[in-house]
Amino acid sequence: MVDDLRRLSDELAHDPGSRVFVQLGETLRRQGQQEMALKVTLRGLERHPHLADAHDLLARLYADSGDMERAFDEWDMVLRLMPGHLGALKGMGFICFHRERFGDAERYLAAAAASDPGDEAVASALAHVRAADVEATRGEAVPIPDALAQDSRYLFMTVLRDEAQTALLLDREGLVLAGAYVAGDGRDVAQEVGAELSGVTDAARRATRHLALGDWTSIVFETDVAVVAMAPSPQDGLLVLATSRATPLGLVRRLLDRCSERARWWLNGSSE
Amino acid sequence: MTSPFTAMLQTLSRQRGVTAALVVSEQDGIVIDSNLQIGQQGDRMAALAASLYRKARLSAKAAGLGAVSFLQLEAPNGRLCAVGAGELVLVVVAASAVNVGLVRVELLRAVVELAGLNAGRSA
Repeated sequence: MVDDLRRLSDELAHDPGSRVFVQLGETLRRQGQQEMALKVTLRGLERHPHLADAHDLLARLYADSGDMERAFDEWDMVLRLMPGHLGALKGMGFICFHRERFGDAERYLAAAAASDPGDEAVASALAHVRAADVEATRGEAVPIPDALAQDSRYLFMTVLRDEAQTALLLDREGLVLAGAYVAGDGRDVAQEVGAELSGVTDAARRATRHLALGDWTSIVFETDVAVVAMAPSPQDGLLVLATSRATPLGLVRRLLDRCSERARWWLNGSSE
Repeated sequence: MTSPFTAMLQTLSRQRGVTAALVVSEQDGIVIDSNLQIGQQGDRMAALAASLYRKARLSAKAAGLGAVSFLQLEAPNGRLCAVGAGELVLVVVAASAVNVGLVRVELLRAVVELAGLNAGRSA
Protein backbone atom coordinates (compact mmCIF):
# COMPACT_ATOMS: atom_id res chain seq x y z
CA MET A 1 0.00 0.00 0.00
CA VAL A 2 2.81 2.40 0.94
CA ASP A 3 4.62 1.38 -2.25
CA ASP A 4 1.46 2.10 -4.23
CA LEU A 5 1.20 5.52 -2.66
CA ARG A 6 4.82 6.34 -3.45
CA ARG A 7 4.54 5.07 -7.00
CA LEU A 8 1.33 6.98 -7.69
CA SER A 9 2.66 10.15 -6.04
CA ASP A 10 5.85 9.92 -8.13
CA GLU A 11 3.85 9.37 -11.27
CA LEU A 12 1.70 12.40 -10.56
CA ALA A 13 4.72 14.53 -9.66
CA HIS A 14 6.35 13.50 -12.94
CA ASP A 15 3.21 14.26 -14.95
CA PRO A 16 0.84 16.62 -13.08
CA GLY A 17 -1.64 16.37 -15.97
CA SER A 18 -1.99 12.60 -15.53
CA ARG A 19 -5.29 10.99 -14.57
CA VAL A 20 -3.47 8.90 -11.99
CA PHE A 21 -4.70 11.35 -9.35
CA VAL A 22 -7.94 9.34 -9.19
CA GLN A 23 -6.06 6.18 -8.15
CA LEU A 24 -3.94 8.19 -5.74
CA GLY A 25 -7.02 9.83 -4.20
CA GLU A 26 -8.72 6.45 -3.89
CA THR A 27 -5.68 4.90 -2.21
CA LEU A 28 -5.45 7.81 0.23
CA ARG A 29 -9.17 7.50 0.96
CA ARG A 30 -8.81 3.80 1.73
CA GLN A 31 -5.96 4.61 4.06
CA GLY A 32 -8.20 7.04 5.92
CA GLN A 33 -6.31 10.12 4.74
CA GLN A 34 -9.51 11.90 3.75
CA GLU A 35 -8.17 15.45 3.76
CA MET A 36 -5.22 14.61 1.57
CA ALA A 37 -7.47 12.57 -0.73
CA LEU A 38 -9.83 15.53 -1.03
CA LYS A 39 -6.97 17.89 -1.83
CA VAL A 40 -5.55 15.57 -4.52
CA THR A 41 -8.99 15.02 -6.08
CA LEU A 42 -9.95 18.69 -6.16
CA ARG A 43 -6.59 19.61 -7.67
CA GLY A 44 -6.93 16.88 -10.29
CA LEU A 45 -10.44 18.03 -11.16
CA GLU A 46 -9.10 21.49 -11.97
CA ARG A 47 -7.24 19.85 -14.88
CA HIS A 48 -9.88 17.22 -15.66
CA PRO A 49 -13.25 18.78 -14.82
CA HIS A 50 -15.15 16.28 -16.98
CA LEU A 51 -13.66 13.09 -15.57
CA ALA A 52 -16.61 11.12 -14.21
CA ASP A 53 -14.57 8.81 -11.97
CA ALA A 54 -12.94 11.78 -10.29
CA HIS A 55 -16.35 13.30 -9.49
CA ASP A 56 -17.44 9.89 -8.20
CA LEU A 57 -14.43 9.78 -5.89
CA LEU A 58 -15.17 13.32 -4.72
CA ALA A 59 -18.80 12.33 -4.02
CA ARG A 60 -17.66 9.37 -1.90
CA LEU A 61 -15.25 11.60 0.01
CA TYR A 62 -18.09 14.02 0.75
CA ALA A 63 -20.38 11.14 1.71
CA ASP A 64 -17.66 9.79 4.04
CA SER A 65 -17.63 13.14 5.81
CA GLY A 66 -21.44 13.23 6.04
CA ASP A 67 -21.82 16.09 3.54
CA MET A 68 -24.69 14.54 1.59
CA GLU A 69 -25.62 17.75 -0.22
CA ARG A 70 -22.24 17.93 -1.92
CA ALA A 71 -22.12 14.18 -2.48
CA PHE A 72 -25.50 14.39 -4.21
CA ASP A 73 -24.31 17.24 -6.44
CA GLU A 74 -21.15 15.36 -7.41
CA TRP A 75 -22.98 12.12 -8.23
CA ASP A 76 -25.51 14.14 -10.16
CA MET A 77 -22.59 15.54 -12.15
CA VAL A 78 -21.21 12.02 -12.74
CA LEU A 79 -24.53 10.90 -14.22
CA ARG A 80 -24.56 13.90 -16.52
CA LEU A 81 -21.06 13.05 -17.70
CA MET A 82 -21.59 9.31 -17.84
CA PRO A 83 -25.22 8.15 -17.63
CA GLY A 84 -25.34 4.67 -16.15
CA HIS A 85 -22.21 5.08 -13.98
CA LEU A 86 -22.66 2.28 -11.45
CA GLY A 87 -21.05 4.03 -8.48
CA ALA A 88 -23.10 7.16 -9.02
CA LEU A 89 -26.35 5.20 -9.39
CA LYS A 90 -25.67 3.43 -6.09
CA GLY A 91 -24.69 6.70 -4.41
CA MET A 92 -27.78 8.54 -5.62
CA GLY A 93 -29.95 5.62 -4.53
CA PHE A 94 -28.39 5.75 -1.08
CA ILE A 95 -28.90 9.50 -0.68
CA CYS A 96 -32.45 9.49 -2.05
CA PHE A 97 -33.35 6.70 0.36
CA HIS A 98 -32.08 8.72 3.31
CA ARG A 99 -34.05 11.72 2.07
CA GLU A 100 -37.14 9.46 1.95
CA ARG A 101 -37.41 9.98 -1.80
CA PHE A 102 -38.21 6.30 -2.19
CA GLY A 103 -39.41 6.55 -5.77
CA ASP A 104 -36.14 8.16 -6.89
CA ALA A 105 -34.09 5.74 -4.77
CA GLU A 106 -35.84 2.81 -6.42
CA ARG A 107 -35.23 4.23 -9.89
CA TYR A 108 -31.48 4.65 -9.27
CA LEU A 109 -31.04 1.28 -7.59
CA ALA A 110 -33.07 -0.53 -10.24
CA ALA A 111 -30.79 0.99 -12.88
CA ALA A 112 -27.76 -0.10 -10.85
CA ALA A 113 -29.18 -3.63 -10.49
CA ALA A 114 -29.82 -3.81 -14.23
CA SER A 115 -26.25 -2.70 -14.87
CA ASP A 116 -24.77 -5.28 -12.50
CA PRO A 117 -27.30 -8.09 -11.79
CA GLY A 118 -24.74 -9.98 -9.70
CA ASP A 119 -24.34 -7.23 -7.11
CA GLU A 120 -26.11 -8.63 -4.05
CA ALA A 121 -25.70 -5.44 -2.05
CA VAL A 122 -27.64 -3.51 -4.69
CA ALA A 123 -30.37 -6.16 -4.89
CA SER A 124 -30.74 -6.11 -1.12
CA ALA A 125 -30.85 -2.29 -1.01
CA LEU A 126 -33.48 -2.28 -3.76
CA ALA A 127 -35.70 -4.70 -1.84
CA HIS A 128 -35.28 -2.55 1.28
CA VAL A 129 -36.27 0.62 -0.58
CA ARG A 130 -39.35 -1.02 -2.09
CA ALA A 131 -40.45 -2.21 1.34
CA ALA A 132 -39.95 1.27 2.80
CA ASP A 133 -41.98 2.83 -0.01
CA VAL A 134 -44.87 0.45 0.58
CA GLU A 135 -44.72 1.28 4.28
CA ALA A 136 -44.73 5.03 3.61
CA THR A 137 -47.65 4.73 1.19
CA ARG A 138 -49.62 2.74 3.76
CA GLY A 139 -49.01 5.49 6.30
CA GLU A 140 -50.48 8.06 3.94
CA ALA A 141 -53.62 6.15 3.23
CA VAL A 142 -55.29 6.85 6.56
CA PRO A 143 -58.89 7.74 5.74
CA ILE A 144 -60.29 11.01 7.04
CA PRO A 145 -63.85 11.45 8.26
CA ASP A 146 -66.45 12.17 5.54
CA ALA A 147 -67.34 15.59 6.94
CA LEU A 148 -63.70 16.71 6.67
CA ALA A 149 -63.26 15.09 3.27
CA GLN A 150 -65.91 17.45 1.86
CA ASP A 151 -64.11 20.55 3.16
CA SER A 152 -61.36 21.79 0.82
CA ARG A 153 -59.48 23.28 3.76
CA TYR A 154 -58.55 19.73 4.74
CA LEU A 155 -57.41 18.70 1.27
CA PHE A 156 -53.81 18.05 2.33
CA MET A 157 -54.61 16.46 5.68
CA THR A 158 -53.79 12.96 4.47
CA VAL A 159 -50.43 14.03 3.10
CA LEU A 160 -49.04 16.17 5.91
CA ARG A 161 -47.38 14.42 8.79
CA ASP A 162 -47.58 16.71 11.80
CA GLU A 163 -49.10 19.90 13.12
CA ALA A 164 -46.10 21.99 12.13
CA GLN A 165 -46.84 21.34 8.45
CA THR A 166 -49.45 23.25 6.53
CA ALA A 167 -50.29 23.52 2.83
CA LEU A 168 -52.29 25.84 0.68
CA LEU A 169 -53.45 25.92 -2.93
CA LEU A 170 -53.85 29.34 -4.55
CA ASP A 171 -55.30 30.36 -7.89
CA ARG A 172 -53.54 32.72 -10.31
CA GLU A 173 -54.93 35.76 -8.43
CA GLY A 174 -53.62 34.54 -5.08
CA LEU A 175 -57.10 33.49 -3.90
CA VAL A 176 -57.33 30.39 -1.74
CA LEU A 177 -58.65 27.30 -3.51
CA ALA A 178 -57.91 24.68 -0.89
CA GLY A 179 -55.86 23.95 2.19
CA ALA A 180 -55.04 26.21 5.08
CA TYR A 181 -52.10 28.22 6.30
CA VAL A 182 -52.07 27.94 10.04
CA ALA A 183 -49.85 30.46 11.85
CA GLY A 184 -48.00 29.68 15.04
CA ASP A 185 -50.87 31.12 17.11
CA GLY A 186 -53.36 28.75 15.45
CA ARG A 187 -55.02 31.34 13.16
CA ASP A 188 -55.64 30.46 9.52
CA VAL A 189 -53.83 33.24 7.65
CA ALA A 190 -54.32 31.65 4.22
CA GLN A 191 -56.00 34.74 2.72
CA GLU A 192 -53.22 37.07 3.88
CA VAL A 193 -50.44 34.77 2.68
CA GLY A 194 -52.24 34.24 -0.63
CA ALA A 195 -52.55 37.98 -1.18
CA GLU A 196 -48.83 38.51 -0.59
CA LEU A 197 -47.90 35.63 -2.89
CA SER A 198 -50.14 36.78 -5.71
CA GLY A 199 -48.01 37.08 -8.82
CA VAL A 200 -45.23 34.72 -7.68
CA THR A 201 -46.01 32.25 -10.46
CA ASP A 202 -45.79 34.98 -13.06
CA ALA A 203 -42.57 36.45 -11.60
CA ALA A 204 -40.96 33.01 -11.41
CA ARG A 205 -41.97 32.19 -14.96
CA ARG A 206 -40.61 35.48 -16.29
CA ALA A 207 -37.37 35.08 -14.33
CA THR A 208 -36.67 31.56 -15.56
CA ARG A 209 -37.64 32.50 -19.12
CA HIS A 210 -35.37 35.54 -19.05
CA LEU A 211 -32.49 33.44 -17.75
CA ALA A 212 -33.29 30.54 -20.11
CA LEU A 213 -33.49 28.12 -17.18
CA GLY A 214 -36.57 26.21 -18.37
CA ASP A 215 -39.93 26.05 -16.58
CA TRP A 216 -39.56 26.64 -12.85
CA THR A 217 -40.15 23.63 -10.64
CA SER A 218 -39.93 25.00 -7.10
CA ILE A 219 -39.19 27.96 -4.89
CA VAL A 220 -37.95 27.28 -1.39
CA PHE A 221 -37.27 29.90 1.23
CA GLU A 222 -36.08 29.62 4.78
CA THR A 223 -37.29 31.91 7.54
CA ASP A 224 -36.43 32.23 11.23
CA VAL A 225 -38.85 29.43 12.14
CA ALA A 226 -39.95 27.68 8.96
CA VAL A 227 -39.12 26.38 5.53
CA VAL A 228 -41.64 27.38 2.88
CA ALA A 229 -41.73 25.54 -0.44
CA MET A 230 -43.80 26.44 -3.46
CA ALA A 231 -44.53 24.69 -6.74
CA PRO A 232 -46.58 25.63 -9.79
CA SER A 233 -49.99 24.02 -9.98
CA PRO A 234 -52.41 23.68 -12.93
CA GLN A 235 -54.04 26.80 -14.39
CA ASP A 236 -51.26 29.10 -13.20
CA GLY A 237 -51.98 28.30 -9.60
CA LEU A 238 -49.50 28.02 -6.76
CA LEU A 239 -49.02 25.35 -4.15
CA VAL A 240 -47.50 26.51 -0.87
CA LEU A 241 -46.16 24.23 1.84
CA ALA A 242 -44.75 25.37 5.17
CA THR A 243 -42.86 23.13 7.56
CA SER A 244 -40.74 23.66 10.64
CA ARG A 245 -37.03 24.43 10.27
CA ALA A 246 -36.31 21.00 11.70
CA THR A 247 -37.77 19.26 8.64
CA PRO A 248 -34.99 17.95 6.36
CA LEU A 249 -35.00 19.63 2.96
CA GLY A 250 -35.31 16.28 1.21
CA LEU A 251 -38.50 15.54 3.11
CA VAL A 252 -39.85 19.02 2.33
CA ARG A 253 -39.44 18.27 -1.37
CA ARG A 254 -41.12 14.90 -1.03
CA LEU A 255 -44.06 16.47 0.82
CA LEU A 256 -44.29 19.17 -1.83
CA ASP A 257 -44.47 16.48 -4.54
CA ARG A 258 -47.20 14.65 -2.67
CA CYS A 259 -49.18 17.85 -2.12
CA SER A 260 -48.82 18.64 -5.83
CA GLU A 261 -50.21 15.23 -6.75
CA ARG A 262 -53.09 15.71 -4.33
CA ALA A 263 -53.83 19.19 -5.73
CA ARG A 264 -53.82 17.90 -9.32
CA TRP A 265 -56.16 15.07 -8.34
CA TRP A 266 -58.52 17.54 -6.68
CA LEU A 267 -58.42 20.06 -9.51
CA ASN A 268 -59.23 17.29 -11.98
CA GLY A 269 -62.50 16.75 -10.17
CA SER A 270 -61.24 13.95 -7.87
CA SER A 271 -62.07 11.58 -10.68
CA GLU A 272 -59.20 9.13 -10.18
CA MET B 1 -14.27 50.85 -11.04
CA THR B 2 -14.87 49.21 -7.67
CA SER B 3 -17.68 49.55 -5.15
CA PRO B 4 -17.95 48.35 -1.56
CA PHE B 5 -19.65 45.22 -2.97
CA THR B 6 -17.09 44.33 -5.63
CA ALA B 7 -14.97 41.91 -3.58
CA MET B 8 -18.05 40.11 -2.25
CA LEU B 9 -19.50 39.68 -5.73
CA GLN B 10 -16.20 38.44 -7.10
CA THR B 11 -15.96 35.84 -4.33
CA LEU B 12 -19.44 34.55 -5.13
CA SER B 13 -18.78 34.52 -8.87
CA ARG B 14 -15.71 32.34 -8.36
CA GLN B 15 -17.90 29.47 -7.13
CA ARG B 16 -18.08 26.73 -9.72
CA GLY B 17 -21.37 26.99 -11.67
CA VAL B 18 -22.21 30.55 -10.64
CA THR B 19 -22.95 32.65 -13.71
CA ALA B 20 -24.02 35.96 -12.19
CA ALA B 21 -23.98 37.75 -8.85
CA LEU B 22 -25.80 40.99 -8.12
CA VAL B 23 -26.61 43.35 -5.28
CA VAL B 24 -30.11 44.68 -5.81
CA SER B 25 -32.42 47.13 -4.10
CA GLU B 26 -35.37 45.09 -2.82
CA GLN B 27 -37.80 47.97 -3.04
CA ASP B 28 -37.37 48.98 -6.66
CA GLY B 29 -35.34 46.11 -8.13
CA ILE B 30 -32.53 48.38 -9.29
CA VAL B 31 -29.01 46.93 -9.61
CA ILE B 32 -26.58 48.42 -7.09
CA ASP B 33 -23.59 46.41 -8.30
CA SER B 34 -23.13 43.23 -10.28
CA ASN B 35 -20.66 40.70 -11.61
CA LEU B 36 -22.10 39.37 -14.86
CA GLN B 37 -20.88 37.36 -17.80
CA ILE B 38 -20.61 39.03 -21.18
CA GLY B 39 -24.02 39.31 -22.79
CA GLN B 40 -26.03 39.00 -19.57
CA GLN B 41 -28.54 41.74 -18.83
CA GLY B 42 -28.68 42.45 -15.15
CA ASP B 43 -31.53 44.93 -14.99
CA ARG B 44 -34.41 42.58 -15.67
CA MET B 45 -32.79 39.77 -13.72
CA ALA B 46 -32.48 42.12 -10.73
CA ALA B 47 -36.06 43.35 -10.94
CA LEU B 48 -37.50 39.84 -11.13
CA ALA B 49 -35.31 38.49 -8.32
CA ALA B 50 -36.13 41.43 -6.06
CA SER B 51 -39.83 40.97 -6.76
CA LEU B 52 -39.68 37.28 -5.83
CA TYR B 53 -37.72 37.97 -2.69
CA ARG B 54 -40.08 40.77 -1.64
CA LYS B 55 -43.13 38.54 -2.10
CA ALA B 56 -41.50 35.79 -0.03
CA ARG B 57 -40.61 38.26 2.73
CA LEU B 58 -44.11 39.77 2.85
CA SER B 59 -45.80 36.36 2.88
CA ALA B 60 -43.51 35.20 5.69
CA LYS B 61 -44.42 38.37 7.58
CA ALA B 62 -48.15 37.73 7.02
CA ALA B 63 -47.76 34.19 8.37
CA GLY B 64 -45.67 35.31 11.34
CA LEU B 65 -42.69 33.25 10.22
CA GLY B 66 -40.03 35.89 10.87
CA ALA B 67 -37.33 37.06 8.49
CA VAL B 68 -36.48 35.29 5.25
CA SER B 69 -32.86 34.12 5.25
CA PHE B 70 -32.40 32.22 1.98
CA LEU B 71 -34.51 31.80 -1.13
CA GLN B 72 -33.97 29.46 -4.03
CA LEU B 73 -35.85 29.26 -7.32
CA GLU B 74 -35.17 25.99 -9.10
CA ALA B 75 -35.57 25.12 -12.77
CA PRO B 76 -34.22 22.30 -14.95
CA ASN B 77 -31.36 24.36 -16.36
CA GLY B 78 -30.33 26.35 -13.34
CA ARG B 79 -31.31 28.16 -10.21
CA LEU B 80 -31.58 31.59 -8.73
CA CYS B 81 -30.60 32.08 -5.09
CA ALA B 82 -31.14 35.18 -2.97
CA VAL B 83 -30.52 36.44 0.54
CA GLY B 84 -31.58 39.78 1.96
CA ALA B 85 -30.10 42.34 4.33
CA GLY B 86 -32.28 45.34 5.04
CA GLU B 87 -33.23 46.96 1.78
CA LEU B 88 -30.61 45.05 -0.20
CA VAL B 89 -30.85 41.61 -1.79
CA LEU B 90 -27.86 39.58 -2.86
CA VAL B 91 -28.73 37.46 -5.90
CA VAL B 92 -26.81 34.61 -7.49
CA VAL B 93 -27.71 32.83 -10.72
CA ALA B 94 -26.16 29.39 -11.13
CA ALA B 95 -26.17 26.29 -13.27
CA SER B 96 -28.28 23.37 -12.07
CA ALA B 97 -25.16 21.33 -11.29
CA VAL B 98 -23.85 23.95 -8.86
CA ASN B 99 -23.07 22.89 -5.32
CA VAL B 100 -26.07 24.65 -3.83
CA GLY B 101 -25.03 23.86 -0.26
CA LEU B 102 -21.80 25.73 -0.81
CA VAL B 103 -23.52 28.64 -2.55
CA ARG B 104 -25.98 28.86 0.34
CA VAL B 105 -23.18 28.99 2.90
CA GLU B 106 -21.31 31.63 0.88
CA LEU B 107 -24.45 33.73 0.49
CA LEU B 108 -25.28 33.56 4.19
CA ARG B 109 -21.70 34.52 4.95
CA ALA B 110 -21.82 37.39 2.47
CA VAL B 111 -25.13 38.69 3.75
CA VAL B 112 -23.55 39.45 7.11
CA GLU B 113 -21.01 41.58 5.30
CA LEU B 114 -23.77 43.10 3.21
CA ALA B 115 -25.70 44.07 6.33
CA GLY B 116 -22.62 45.92 7.58
CA LEU B 117 -22.17 47.72 4.28
CA ASN B 118 -25.87 48.52 4.16
CA ALA B 119 -25.72 50.03 7.64
CA GLY B 120 -22.75 52.13 6.57
CA ARG B 121 -24.59 53.17 3.44
CA SER B 122 -27.67 54.26 5.40
CA ALA B 123 -25.70 56.19 8.03
